[in-house]
Amino acid sequence: MATLSFRDIQKAYGKFKVIHGIGFDISDGEFVVLVGPSGCGKSTLLRMLAGLEEITGGEILIDGKVVNDLESKDRDIAMVFQSYALYPHMTVRENMAFSLRLRRAATKTTDERVANAARILNLAELLDRYPRELSGGQRQRVAMGRAIVRDPKVFLFDEPLSNLDAKLRVAMRAEIKALHQRLKTTTVYVTHDQIEAMTMADRIVVMHDGIIEQIGTPLELFDRPANLFVAQFIGSPAMNVFPGTVRDGTIEGLGTRWPAASIRAAEGQVVHYGIRPGDLELANDGVPAKVVVVEPTGAETELLVQVGEAQLIVVLHGRTQAQPDDTVHLAVDPAKAHVFDGRDGQRLG
Amino acid sequence: MNTAVIAAPAPRKPAKPLSTWEFWGRALVVPYLLVFVVFVVYPVGYGLWLARDPQSYVKLFDDPIFFRTAINTLVFLVVAINLKMVIALFLSGFFLNTRWWIKVLSVLFILPWAVPSIPTILSVRFMLNPEWGVINSTIFRLTGLDGPNWLNDPTLAFSFSMLMHVWKSLPFWTLILLAGRMAIPSEQYEAASVDGASAWQKFRFITWPSMRGLYLTSTLLSMIWTLGDFNSVYLLTGGGPADLTHVLATLGIRYLRLDQIELAMASIVVTLPLVLPLVYFMMKRLSK
Amino acid sequence: MSRAFSLKKVSVEARLLLVGIPVLLWTLIPVYHLFLFAISERDTATSGRLWPKNATLQNFDTVFQQQHFYLNHFWVQLGNSLMIAIAVGVITLFIATTAAFAISRLKVKGGRTVMNLALFTYFIPAAFLAVPMYKTMANYGLLNNRWSLVLAMVTIASPYCIWVLKQASDKLPWELDEAARIDGATPLQLFRLVYLPLMVPSLVAVGTYALLLAWNEYLYGFLLLSNETHLTLAVALGNFLAADDSPWELLMATGFIYALPPAAIYYAFKRYMVSGLTAGAVKT
Repeated sequence: MATLSFRDIQKAYGKFKVIHGIGFDISDGEFVVLVGPSGCGKSTLLRMLAGLEEITGGEILIDGKVVNDLESKDRDIAMVFQSYALYPHMTVRENMAFSLRLRRAATKTTDERVANAARILNLAELLDRYPRELSGGQRQRVAMGRAIVRDPKVFLFDEPLSNLDAKLRVAMRAEIKALHQRLKTTTVYVTHDQIEAMTMADRIVVMHDGIIEQIGTPLELFDRPANLFVAQFIGSPAMNVFPGTVRDGTIEGLGTRWPAASIRAAEGQVVHYGIRPGDLELANDGVPAKVVVVEPTGAETELLVQVGEAQLIVVLHGRTQAQPDDTVHLAVDPAKAHVFDGRDGQRLG
Repeated sequence: MNTAVIAAPAPRKPAKPLSTWEFWGRALVVPYLLVFVVFVVYPVGYGLWLARDPQSYVKLFDDPIFFRTAINTLVFLVVAINLKMVIALFLSGFFLNTRWWIKVLSVLFILPWAVPSIPTILSVRFMLNPEWGVINSTIFRLTGLDGPNWLNDPTLAFSFSMLMHVWKSLPFWTLILLAGRMAIPSEQYEAASVDGASAWQKFRFITWPSMRGLYLTSTLLSMIWTLGDFNSVYLLTGGGPADLTHVLATLGIRYLRLDQIELAMASIVVTLPLVLPLVYFMMKRLSK
Repeated sequence: MSRAFSLKKVSVEARLLLVGIPVLLWTLIPVYHLFLFAISERDTATSGRLWPKNATLQNFDTVFQQQHFYLNHFWVQLGNSLMIAIAVGVITLFIATTAAFAISRLKVKGGRTVMNLALFTYFIPAAFLAVPMYKTMANYGLLNNRWSLVLAMVTIASPYCIWVLKQASDKLPWELDEAARIDGATPLQLFRLVYLPLMVPSLVAVGTYALLLAWNEYLYGFLLLSNETHLTLAVALGNFLAADDSPWELLMATGFIYALPPAAIYYAFKRYMVSGLTAGAVKT
């Protein structure tokens, strides 16, 4: 059993506060992703959990035990670093066995665990190589192997895929996810890439400037973002957002009217209207728009259209006949529209 | 009765016990700190204490040898260092060349620095022997004349001390300046060639601006080290003839052997107004 | 096939040689002279020839057999030089490595100050420290004790070594320490199993530097040691100068023997020495 709890976590460097009261719980076996732009505090939070940074305020609990004053090595965690942090003067085998060697574990246990991890991660042939002889992806797997051998309560990942090229990233994402399904260890994973978050997480914690913007499953965050920040952060291409005013149960923006389901806003209130590129359809009538660019990507087509003074992105399944400079009509499903308060960005509808 | 309410002092947070990391951090600097306190702080403190008597300084300044030594030291610094650095600057450009024989030469060139100075300085001392030394023998063979008594002439002897110093330390500074030259991207020179620059112009507009800082720092550092060059003077001339070729480094030892330790320390303290600013400046540059 | 025999090429080559030959002569003359004397017979050594009439190794034999008044304790003195140099190398390495590790990796509080103290000591000319050091050793009762020379040289060598090691340590990636901590390493395990193996090239450079510094040292040995059996070879060589009719050729032979180890070490470790030491010496 390995549950995690963050209770009102604060972090300050001298007078400079970077984390302003973060609290949430993680259940046993969950894969939780901390995501957010650079500087939001996600890595700092992870490092506090790991024991690599001092906790200025609040408590972190692992399995119900407060660990604030515990050394990293006593917290029963393992960490995979962005730069892999493999010991260059040790072979793969020695790297993976290092933590057990420090504890003077029996040779038999060590060998078994290393062999097991090597098998899971396909590293068996590489055991006697040195890190400098390995590719990026291989090194990443050795870093994971080192963590697995520990058999810890919690896995921590600190942007492990950032140093890999795009194709390798996709492959490693699947591997990490498969690993989690197999080992079922509680995992906290930090990344700035929302696609990684969406594809891998059981739940996502979106962070921004040291606070939590929203916690939820990937689909919850996608379908019902709690505020403007989450709405624009999650989803690729990003949600189309433009300012509007509430008029008669619709939103007046960009010189035309947009439909919305039940809005809890006063008449005339200034709002932000959001609609995902995938939720815009071409129809016979609807909001008129002028096509600027057509980008067919094979299975889909991305259109850049001009409505009023803004340019919106539309993603269509399949092909289209539309050409640049054509006028098309955008149909919007009111249930898919998002309305956010004009001042504080909170969800209104 | 006026009862002022005094807030109870906030309870002191119990001091956090030293983490094992903090403990070992401190423990591992202890060996050096021990050495520092026992063999630097104490000697320096003791030395300064020995130099506390103002009378020592009066005696020092009254001693004509001290005056001569101060001049010698100044001359040594100005002449030897500039000679050395200019040659080093020139040779650093020379050794950039990749011809095979220049590479071989650069390896041999390090010899003066690598080899201990005692045998080599003594070797030169013998070369200078007026009766049977190689130099005078050769002069005699070529011209039939007797060569000068090199080490008996203060000017000649002193010049040779400076030459020895340059001989010994030139390789080191040449290497340093060579490293500085290698850091200059070759494209700058290529662009200058295309623009029609002469060799001197390339030096003036590309090499020198890049090397200026390093040259200055090297000169200053060299000043500090040259002040401490005991061997080049002592082993060649012994400070003679008649104590006329002493420098500050050897003067202190002279006073020590005459059992005039206060004068020895005074002669060192007197240089501090020059040395300490140099040291301060060097530290600022290096501890960045 | 015609060789491009341009006048320009010749003049460039000539100009280079014009520099190269004097540099070669300048560099080698004192050393060659040393060698010349070492292999010459007593009488012909001073003849001023370029190569001795009867080149001989007899001088070396005399030295090794200690068959002269000044050479009575050659082997002991050689041994002293060796032992002192090795002791200085080892002790300095220990002191500098632990200090650099504490300052750079453990980030001990006040590390910056210690580093600055060390730098300060490094910049004070050793000759200035010699007189107070002499009195200090007298006060500690260590005069004429070989350990006084060892400790004095350790004091002089340590600052630079700490500086170089700290610079090199700072280049090690931080994550290695963090990974080791999470793997469960104590500070000493981190030092022994991760830090030291990765620092080997710098350790070699620094240890060699300290060793050679001690081997080459004259002034401190001259001040601190007096008993003939305690002298280092360097000081013994200096004592040859006392008399006017000293056997110069034996002196040179001894000097040549004395000069061989540093030259050999320098050339063996050329790569380490040059890059490892000059990198820390002067930063632009």
